[in-house]
Order: sequence, then structure tokens, then C-alpha cells
Amino acid sequence: MSVCRGVKGIRKGKPVPTVTIDGCKVRVKKDATILDAARKAGIWIPTLCYHPSISVDASCRLCMVELDRGDWKQLVTACNYPVRSDIVVYASSERTQQARRGVMELLLARAPESKELKVLAKRMGVKETRYPKVTESQRNCILCGLCVQVCEEIIGKAAIGFAGRGVDRAVAAPFRQPSEDCIGCGACAVICPVGTIKIRIHEDKQEVEISPFKSRAKLLVCKECGALVASMPVSEQTLDKIKLNSEEFRERLRLCPKCRRLQTVTRLGATTFRKK
Amino acid sequence: MISVSTKFSSSADIETFAQKLRSKGGPAAKSVRVCIGTGCAAKGSRRLYELFCEAVEESGQDVKVEAKCVGCHGFCERGPIVVVEPGQIFYQRVEEPDVAEIFRETVLGGRVVERLLYEDPETGKKAEKADEIDFYKVQERIVLGNNGLIDPTEITDYIAEGGYKALAKVLSSMAPDEVISEVETAGLRGRGGGGFPTARKWRSCREAKGSPKYVICNGDEGDPGAFMDRSIMEGNPHSVIEGMLIGAYAIGSEQGYIYVRNEYPLAVEHLKIAISQAREFGLLGKKILGSSFSFDIRINRGGGAFVCGESTALMASLEGRTGEPRAKYVHTVESGLREKPTNLNNVETWANIPAIINRGGKSFADIGTEKSKGTKVFSLVGKVVNTGLVEVPMGITLRQIIDQIGGGVPDGKSFKAVQTGGPSGGCIPAEHLDTRVDFDELTKLGSMMGSGGMIVMDEDTCMVNVAKYFTNFLKEESCGKCTPCREGLAQMLYVLDRIVDGEGQAGDVERLEGLAELLEGTALCALGKTSANPIISTIRYFRNEYDAHIKEKRCPAKECRGLFRYDIDPEACTACGICMKNCPVDAITGEKKVPHVINQEKCTLCGTCWEKCPFAAVLKV
Repeated sequence: MSVCRGVKGIRKGKPVPTVTIDGCKVRVKKDATILDAARKAGIWIPTLCYHPSISVDASCRLCMVELDRGDWKQLVTACNYPVRSDIVVYASSERTQQARRGVMELLLARAPESKELKVLAKRMGVKETRYPKVTESQRNCILCGLCVQVCEEIIGKAAIGFAGRGVDRAVAAPFRQPSEDCIGCGACAVICPVGTIKIRIHEDKQEVEISPFKSRAKLLVCKECGALVASMPVSEQTLDKIKLNSEEFRERLRLCPKCRRLQTVTRLGATTFRKK
Repeated sequence: MISVSTKFSSSADIETFAQKLRSKGGPAAKSVRVCIGTGCAAKGSRRLYELFCEAVEESGQDVKVEAKCVGCHGFCERGPIVVVEPGQIFYQRVEEPDVAEIFRETVLGGRVVERLLYEDPETGKKAEKADEIDFYKVQERIVLGNNGLIDPTEITDYIAEGGYKALAKVLSSMAPDEVISEVETAGLRGRGGGGFPTARKWRSCREAKGSPKYVICNGDEGDPGAFMDRSIMEGNPHSVIEGMLIGAYAIGSEQGYIYVRNEYPLAVEHLKIAISQAREFGLLGKKILGSSFSFDIRINRGGGAFVCGESTALMASLEGRTGEPRAKYVHTVESGLREKPTNLNNVETWANIPAIINRGGKSFADIGTEKSKGTKVFSLVGKVVNTGLVEVPMGITLRQIIDQIGGGVPDGKSFKAVQTGGPSGGCIPAEHLDTRVDFDELTKLGSMMGSGGMIVMDEDTCMVNVAKYFTNFLKEESCGKCTPCREGLAQMLYVLDRIVDGEGQAGDVERLEGLAELLEGTALCALGKTSANPIISTIRYFRNEYDAHIKEKRCPAKECRGLFRYDIDPEACTACGICMKNCPVDAITGEKKVPHVINQEKCTLCGTCWEKCPFAAVLKV
């Protein structure tokens, strides 16, 4: 069975490599990855540490596929293997399945309580892990590194990084102390594929805490109603980036969305209804 | 010592200068060479050197005597080593009081001090010169040859022995392509472990798009028990620099880096001195030897992570990032340091280059086997009589290295296995001792050449424990970036710990094999992919020991505590009472003239009685 999908977005005339993935032929731009090709072909490959907005690290090793090297087959990671010439890939072979399941079992042993990981494992056909938990370092973190990367690459803060090495490696703020660089934006919590990083709101202290790093940031309090709006440093950073110098606009960003809307409505009402 | 400051401006200058140096010496010159390699230095050779210097000053003779420090001779077991010229008289295990005698008798009197010569343990024959000793006879010292001759802190010594002649030849008469072809003819393969053909690497880097290009010398030797690269960097740093110069010229690079671990302070110091001397002599810098080729070298000190010996991790570390590997689907010769084409070779590989140019690739290729050419330096350690650094032609058998050079296993014990290739290598049992040492042969046996560590083990070594030792080492050194290496090694160690503690379960060996296969297939870097080798090779050759631990709860080598017990042989026991006195838990009972008995219930298996018994009456059973 060989289905050839279109080559949309690739100009005619330029030679583009073909990836034959589980018998399905797709053409991709040079230096696209096997994962790109698989997604184009509609073939699912499990991933954990991959995120399209973030540079590829290939650390979780879940997206293994078999690459045909002629006389032998090599296991490679789909997320970062660059397609440079025509290649043949097996994404569902017995060996790839076994490799992925093996990696998943190791991850399950590390983070047995993560619901998200269990769901993915189930989809991969892994019911449970044969391995015991051998480390107590950082519960339920699979060390994929997405949080570290998003903080550095997208937020530009690098408030967290890796500490220690080997099985004792952990994601932490410097010296495992609450970070002064953390702006409490919560990007790390959003990107965490196993739900280990959490955003906690401390209403009494009007602070946001990023757990488990213990970093805290003051929350912006709505001037009108006193509701907690967003992390203060995030708001300030956003305002810094805005070139608009209207003080009125800045003032309005310091309100909670509800009060802001109310204010707008009141103003609109004041103007339009008066005219009527 | 000649303190001439010269700046070479052409290739011919080097030869003229070397001739001038040699004529100053001459055959009548007397010299005392004291080895200050790390092994000898640890046994106090620095002090010996000072004493010789004092003796030279005090003598005030007309005869010119020179005392100098030289690099490692390799025969570390017999250090400190002192060689006296003329006659190359080889003194071993020299101590401070011997200095005066050597100086009086040999240096001034021309007589040999028999007492300090090496004596063959079998024939009892004394050897005056190094060449007469079995340890050196079988060796072929291309890389280490100059180690015992030159003072590593004096560039003039290196030049006098023909140093930088290869560079002069390359710059004056060879095109970069010709240099690469010469290395190709020589058939040199990377000495760092992988055994990748050096010329092919150079060519790919030369042809890669992008500039600048970098060359790197990997001096992050981290294998337990290995000190080959250390001795080269400490004893003959200029050979590495010359090799890098030639490589850089061939590749088209102007900047080189030497990444050396900070735990090698002497290597760092000697490299620093060597680089500054080479700059002074115009051998590093702009327009070297009047050619259009410019090149300089920087030293970077590693912070002690084993994984930084992996090329991509090393480059990350050089860039100032955490030393962690990355996928090599795009090779470093295309995109390496700072995403520029980068050629990385190991210390020993670089040190081979000048020899290849001087001898010619063909003559170099005459040494060795079909696919592994030249020589290889091994650090021969463990349960072997002659511990030290040996350089042998490829194709020599393991038996020759261990028995002839190493002098076999000490104390009449029998040989069990040899571990080659560092922590990611494997254990080779006695039945394969006649295997020829060659990149491919060792791989076939489930081990590898690696960077050249060779650890000999005797009958008292438990192979499961060996696997556990290396797995533990790798677990500690795993960077933790990728899942299989980080988690898999910890899981394997968990199982091994259980087996060694006598709590192994049926199916543990299969569990280990499964994890090993997973690591080999899915780990990110070579460190992770090969990390199961110690386990796989010990299971392959010593499966019976695993079974004995798991099924019979018995350690055949009697090394794993708890899997054997101590007993007193009533025939051998003289009832001296030493064991009784030393037992910390009073588990031994006995009276005068009555053989003592160990109360097995009280015994904590500490082994004190076994160590203390002067009659070897305490047995491990």
C-alpha cells in the first residue's frame, strides 16, 4: 500500500526528499524531521519532550523509529532526525514498539503518579511498569526539560535549570532557592507534559507560587474590586514591551478583566446613550 | 639547558637549529634523567631530581653533567626511574640515599651500581639498559618513544630529537590534500575509542562548508585506571601541539583547543609552557615558518565530568554550557563547536601525526593488522606484576601484553579476565587471550579498544561485582539528559546490587539483558549506548557466576560479602590467638594448642581474622 500525499508548500523544480514511513510516501522540505513527515502522513508517534515552539532536545527518547540503513536498521529519534535524502522509516515495527515501551516503563517508574503519563502509556499499550522506583529525587518529574527551555527561550528568564546529574538530576532554581528571576508567568506549568509543575495562588499574601520551585511573585490587585489579576512582573514586562505611551491605557491594564469591561461599558454607555 | 631565543622564519631554520643543538651535546656529554611522570613523582622523584642537581653543583668537575626531568617511562611499577648517560643505564626503584652512590659510581666513575638494576624475576639476570628488560622488549614506542628522553618543559629538547621536523616538511613541501592522503595511507584510526578513520574525518571537515573551522584535542581522559593521554601531555606536550598544527593545516583551521581535565595539573602546566614556547619560537601564531598558515591553541580545563569526553558534550562545555551530549545526526565535522565545522581527535591520535609524516604513511602502515595500523598505548593495571604504560604494535595478542610485558598475574594466582576499553568496554576471559589486539577483534568479543585502559583480574575477582562497579561508575557519571541512560543505569544497578547482596531473583539476568538492549538502542550518546557492555560481556562469559549468586546464593570468587563464610582450617591453625584478639565481635573461641573456631552465628563477616592470620589458616568457604 503506497499513498503519496501532495507536496503543498514546496515549490516545483526543487528536489525534495521522500520519506517512506510504514509504506506511506510523503515528501518533505529538506532538513524537516521524521516527525514532521510522520505527522504529514498521519502516523502517530508518541512524544513528550517535543514542542513545536521550542528547540529540539531529544531527551525523552520516546519517539524512536527504525531507519533503514540498507543492510541494517538503526533506531533514531523522529523528533530531530533531519531528512536530507530519500529515506525509509518504520514507525510501527516490533522493535520500535518495544523500544518505546521500554522507555515508557522507565518513565512510569520515575513518575508513577502522573495521570497524563498514564494516559499516554495506555495509548502506547503499556499497562504498567516492571521497574521499581529507584530514586526519590523530584517526584513525578520526567526531566523532559521543556520547562527549562520555555523559561529560557520564550520567556527569556532562565529562572530554572537542571541541577545535579544522572538519576539525581532535578529541575530547580539556582541553589534550590526561590528564584529572584522568576516572574511567575506559569509558562513552565502550562508546558509541563506530565502536570508536575503547578501554579498556586496565595490569596492571603496576594502572591503566585510556582511549585515545586517555591518561586513567588506578587499579584496585581484590581484597583476597583480588589480581585487578583495577574502576576505583577508579567504585567510590568508586558507594559514595557508596549510602545503605547497612553497613561490611560496603562491604568486600565491594572484592572481586572471584569472591571475593565465594566469601565468600558460605562464609558460607552455614557457617550452613546447621551447622544440618543 | 640551552636558553636561545629563536624565532623560526622558515622550514629550513628548524633543521639548522636542531643540528646546532645536537652538536652542543655530543657523545661525551653526561646526563642524569629523572622521570617525573605522575607515578614516579608520587614516589618522590622530584626530590631525587633536586638531589642530583645539588650533586652536580657540588661536584664542580670539568665534566659537564646535566640533570634533567623527563616524562613517564611507562614502567611505573618500578619507579622512580633514573637513566644515566652515557650508556643508558637504567636504574629502578631509586631512593634518596642512592643518589650519592649513583652520582659517585656511575656519573663520575663510569661504573654500574648493580643493586639498582632491574632483575628478571625468572632468570635473575640483571638488565643494564631498558631494551634488555622484557617489559620493553616487546613494545614498539612511537608515541611514547621520546617520553623518557626529553624534558617536557624545554622545546629545545624536543627539537633536538627531531621535533617539528614534520611540521617543517608539511609546510614547505606538502599541500593539505597530500597531508590527508599520507594519513590515509598510514591507516590511522582514532585512538579515543571509536576507531574512526582519522583521514576521513579530516577530509569531511576540510570539505565542510563554513568558517572558521576548529580543531580540538580531547584530553578529557576519564576512564578508571587509564593514564595514557596524561603521560603524553605531561611527558611530550609538543608532539600533541605539532600533530594539531599539521592537522589544522590539512583541514584549514586557524584555531585549536586542548580540552584537558583539571585533575591533571601537571599536564595543564606542561601544555601551557609548551604552547608559550612554541609561540616564542614562531611555531604558533601568524604566518608560521614563513608560510601563509596561521594557527594558535587555547587550553580549556574540564570540570571533571566523565561525559565531557564525549565530543558533543565536550564542545558544549567549551562553549560555556553544561557538558551534555546532543544527537550526532549532523556530524561535528559539519556543525560542531559554535556550529562550525570542527575536527576533534584524541591526544594519542594527534601525537601519532608527526611520526606518520616523518616515517611516511606506508612505513607506519607496515605496523599492525590489516585494518588497525600503528601502535596503541595501553595502561596496564590491576592484578599484574608490571603495572605501567605500554605501547605495543596492533595485532599483538592479549597474552603477550599480560604475560610478557606485564609479567603475568602476581602471587601465583590464576588469570580470570581482562577488562579493556574503560567503563564502556567489556571483560575478556582466559580462553580469548590469544586474540589479536585490533579495533575489530576486540569489538567482536563484546569489548572494545576504547582509549586503552587494560585492567587485569585474577581468580579472586567476582565478575558480578566488576559489572556492578562499572555500572555504578557510569550511573554516577551519566549526565541524566536522556531517559534510558539516566533511569536504565539506575535500574540495572538496582538489580546488580540485589544479586551481589544475595537477594537475586530468578529472571534477574534476563531483566539485565532486556535493559541492556534498551540502552543500546535508545540512549542518546555513545556513553549511554555502550554503558551496558560491562554487564553484557560478563553475562556472556561468566553466566555461571551470575547463576551461583542468584540460585545458590554463593559467590564463587568469594568477594561478595555474605555469600561466603570464614572458617578456620584446624590443620593450619597454630592456635596463636591473633584472630581471637582481633575479632571485633568475639566470634572466635579457642584455647592454647587447640585450633580456634569461628562461631558463624556471631560472625559479621568483617574479614579481620582473614587479614590478620599469619598462617593463612582462615579460609573463605
